[in-house]
Amino acid sequence: MSKTSHLSPILLITVFLLVVGCSGPGEIHEWKPESIEFSLEGPLFEGPNTGQVLLPLDFSEFLGDDSEKKISAARLMSAQVHAGDSLGFQQVRSFVLSFASDNEDVAMQEAAFKNPLPSEVSSVALDVAATADLGELFAEDRVYVVLDVDLMEDFWDGNRAFLLDLRMETKFK
Amino acid sequence: MAIALSFLTYEWKQNLNKQNMLRTTGWMIALVALTLGTMGFTSPEPETPGDSLIGIWEPSNGRARLKIDRIGTKYYGRIVWLIEPNDPETGQPKTDINNPDPELRNVPLKGYRMLKDFVFQEEDGTWTEGTIYDPLNGSTYSCIITMTDENTLDIRGYIGVQALGRTDVWKRLKMPKKK
Repeated sequence: MSKTSHLSPILLITVFLLVVGCSGPGEIHEWKPESIEFSLEGPLFEGPNTGQVLLPLDFSEFLGDDSEKKISAARLMSAQVHAGDSLGFQQVRSFVLSFASDNEDVAMQEAAFKNPLPSEVSSVALDVAATADLGELFAEDRVYVVLDVDLMEDFWDGNRAFLLDLRMETKFK
Repeated sequence: MAIALSFLTYEWKQNLNKQNMLRTTGWMIALVALTLGTMGFTSPEPETPGDSLIGIWEPSNGRARLKIDRIGTKYYGRIVWLIEPNDPETGQPKTDINNPDPELRNVPLKGYRMLKDFVFQEEDGTWTEGTIYDPLNGSTYSCIITMTDENTLDIRGYIGVQALGRTDVWKRLKMPKKK
């Protein structure tokens, strides 16, 4: 056995203590913004069409007067898409929901999708990627909510509208 | 516009009292605002210099086409066409089966954002800070985009050091016209 082999357990324990010490429980809150409306302006082409909405983020209701406290993690719990016009989900093959930021250091993240859509519905719960950590995105003042709508055929006349209801789990430390 | 500006200058010289000066300044501001506003509505120029990247592009292998858009201040490219859209085994549309996150492996490949988070650098006219995703192996690479002419892009993917990367040449495709 080499002289340094006994260091491995010590190193592991040190890393474990650091991780535990730095993560802590924090405060967990459920956050539900108002319904987000996406309007996709025609003409729309067969394939994915993108709707984007800039969502201002204000967590003052959770933070109170504590200016030191910041969001440390965020997770999407549910995402429900509703038809926003009489066309419903006509010719819609799938939805993909992502979040993006103007911050150069924060990358876009896919968070939920539905593929394929069930037939004859006007509201659908997306399959959420529970592992997607949206903490960095939601630590910003605002976030882009991006809904990709995959159409089965070209749609030349008029616009399409969809509503999105989000439910997030946010953690503050 | 030149006649209007000459007229305003003449009027300003003739009326030196404070009230008229304020009125004239107001007219000039309104004129400038109207001119700029009209330019904003009618100019065919892109909103920002980086918007020249927006469009539909085809990689050199011709197996896919990507549409590059801007979301906020950053640029993203998603697959809008595949030469082979369906899985030959199942006959169903291809999904991102190699995604490192198992929960996202049923996301449709058509529509997938292969290019993410590119920021336009005015100093050298490149788009940097972004990543390119290879759906064939589920790997993500750092990437820099250079426009060599208005219809050609050099897409350089790399890990760590740019010098150790690989460059692919993409060509711009024309948008379909309305029926």
